[in-house]
Amino acid sequence: MSRHSEIKKTVLRGVYEDNAGIPRSTHGKRQSKFAADSQEPVHSSRYPGKAVLVAVLGLVALLGFNLRLVTVDVAGPAAMQVVEEQPLPSYRVQLPVPVSPVGALIPGNDQLVSPEPIQSLDDATITSGRYDTMLTRLGMPMADLFNLQVQTIVIDPGHGGIDPGATGHLGLKEKDVVLDIAKRLRDKLAVTGKYRVLLTREGDRKVFLKERVAFAKENRADLFISTHVNSLPPGAGSLNYVETYYFGPHTDQRSLELAEKENRDSDYAMGDFREVIARIGDTLKTEESKQLANSIHKHLYNNMKRRNRGLIDAGAKTGPFMVLLGVEVPSVLIEVSCISNKAEEARLSTPEYRDRIADYLKTGIVDYLEERAHRRTIEGGIIQNVAKQER
Amino acid sequence: MSPNKKDNMQYIGIDLGTSRSVVSASNGNRKWVESYVGWPKDFVAKKMLGKRVLFGSEALEHRLALNLSRPLQNGVLKEGTERDEAAVQELIGHLIELADVEPGKDICVAVGVPAEALKVNKIAIRNAISEYAKNLMVVSEPFSVAYGLGTLDNTMILDIGAGTVDFCIMHGTVPMEDDQRSILMAGDYVDEQLLKLLTEKHPEADFSLNMVRRFKEKHGFVGSSKRRVKVEAPVDGIFTEFDITEEMRRACESPMPAIVETVIDLIAGFDPEFQESVRKNIIIAGGGSQLSGLDTFLTEATKQFEPCKFTCIDDPLHAGADGALELAADMPEEFLEKL
Ligand SMILES: Nc1ncnc2c1ncn2[C@@H]1O[C@H](COP(=O)(O)OP(=O)(O)OP(=O)(O)O)[C@@H](O)[C@H]1O
Ligand SMILES: [Mg+2]
Ligand SMILES: [Zn+2]
Repeated sequence: MSRHSEIKKTVLRGVYEDNAGIPRSTHGKRQSKFAADSQEPVHSSRYPGKAVLVAVLGLVALLGFNLRLVTVDVAGPAAMQVVEEQPLPSYRVQLPVPVSPVGALIPGNDQLVSPEPIQSLDDATITSGRYDTMLTRLGMPMADLFNLQVQTIVIDPGHGGIDPGATGHLGLKEKDVVLDIAKRLRDKLAVTGKYRVLLTREGDRKVFLKERVAFAKENRADLFISTHVNSLPPGAGSLNYVETYYFGPHTDQRSLELAEKENRDSDYAMGDFREVIARIGDTLKTEESKQLANSIHKHLYNNMKRRNRGLIDAGAKTGPFMVLLGVEVPSVLIEVSCISNKAEEARLSTPEYRDRIADYLKTGIVDYLEERAHRRTIEGGIIQNVAKQER
Repeated sequence: MSPNKKDNMQYIGIDLGTSRSVVSASNGNRKWVESYVGWPKDFVAKKMLGKRVLFGSEALEHRLALNLSRPLQNGVLKEGTERDEAAVQELIGHLIELADVEPGKDICVAVGVPAEALKVNKIAIRNAISEYAKNLMVVSEPFSVAYGLGTLDNTMILDIGAGTVDFCIMHGTVPMEDDQRSILMAGDYVDEQLLKLLTEKHPEADFSLNMVRRFKEKHGFVGSSKRRVKVEAPVDGIFTEFDITEEMRRACESPMPAIVETVIDLIAGFDPEFQESVRKNIIIAGGGSQLSGLDTFLTEATKQFEPCKFTCIDDPLHAGADGALELAADMPEEFLEKL
């Protein structure tokens, strides 16, 4: 393929990604309220009125749209495949189980979650009891789904203390870079006044993966963002990657090795492991994590490319990172840069560059949250319309 | 794309501008309308005009009987102005009607909007458009121009419109926020400057904003001019000739320092190697690119800092809509289905 058509393809994909994922309002053509014969404003479904009804029904819509049943399959790389989209309302995902370091003994085909068939949008008779069950099963507070509360974002700077993470040729350490970026990111998110932002570590100290997960849980995180810096083996020369992960099977050998490296000190007990696998059945999490990863990655890569023409887009994709499996809410792990590249290491050692990276991360996160809020409103609106017709 | 699918799809590209909106369709139709939307104020007005809604010059003509909207006044929909959202919706509907596509076919629309509006009002604009099309994309206006020209890398697009000048650097990906910049000194600003200069110099004459805009569109220039600019304006009701060469030059040049500064500043944010190639490829689009002598003037003006080469495009009226059309038609089927 010629370079031009290569670029064209990238650009078309970019336009697609910019435009996909925003559902449209499906109500009929709105009559303009400014026409002479309709002085009364037509109540636009974009502004949900009766919050509770909307919320309840909206949640069902979400379930209808997103719910996946989960079965746990045999462990090992062979199991790492996703059965893709089958018709709604429900479909099955072979749950990927990471091979290392603790995923050796998962009971085969153990159906951990098997919800009753979910009612589709068409039968809008939902009792509140039923809705409660769904809520519990989903494990996500309603307030979060509808953005009624301040969102809590937990930022997780990787490594720390005796674990330096990757180290560059000049001696720059991953643990220091990611801590600095995380703090900058926190400040940038905090000044918007819309989010409560917490770090899993404030200083240079060792934090176990389990503690990171527990921290997110204790603080009722709505989003979990783990920051890391890549390092490629000496043979990779001057390659420079940016990549963003959400939980799922690895898609190539490099991702697997990377995950093994980042998983090194995960010490989940077998029991914990089974429990967290059950939670991945929370399909909303996977779907939302994917959207979050896409949003962050797009901003990060496209912006960094500007100053670094050789930068390789390794994409937003799934990887078996334990820390992402443990957290119950949308979560991503970002390899923001590549410390094994000398030029990149030099850039990373400047505060300006780290600040810029924090900026791109922030934009990706905020964009995602705003788009999500919008999706919720529309889905709420659709339900409201359905409810109106029912009456 | 499979032939059946393609057969049953009509592609439409739209340039939604502050002053002018243009449509270009795969059936070959190209139309434009001034970006005014007006609804009759009351029942009497509606009866008199015989229409639910009016557009463009017709709307302007009957402005007194209408609730009038120029929805993207400063390059953005103002926050919370439902009337402007409704106007965008009507305008898009009207443009699609003008495209006159075969009934019964699926429509795929790509809309280019001012860069600032895309940033601020993306969702509102999408909502307004979503009523009409099965498949839909919204992109920034300079990007759709770049796409149409096939300049997706190593290029800067400079779109001189009425409300804003949009700057956009293409580096092989969809432009991000930091690749784009907008300044409010554009065509409308030049008109205001010209009116001010002329009124100061000839207080006895009755110049109006619309009048000086026409002067500018006919005689506007930057740099040195070989010929004098002479126009007629009423003095006590009698048309009198004025030589406005100097005022015209000053007004047209008034946004130039800001433009040069922005170009240089924006390029400075890039990889040094890349800066070189971008400087040689600055493309000027938009109605304002028709100012006589513009590319030479800007090329000269940057000489003292970082030498740049500016080029004006051939068809500034249709470039945005044509680019959007091409984008819609190029979108692979697997993507299109999810848009
Ligand atoms: N021949 C011309 N010479 C100079 N300026 C012109 C000429 N023709 C049109 N213009 C100016 O170009 C501007 C309109 O350009 P264009 O149609 O690209 O704007 P727009 O897309 O509606 O605005 P925006 O891009 O700000 O949304 C107006 O200010 C108009 O006066
Ligand atoms: Mg324009
Ligand atoms: Zn790491």
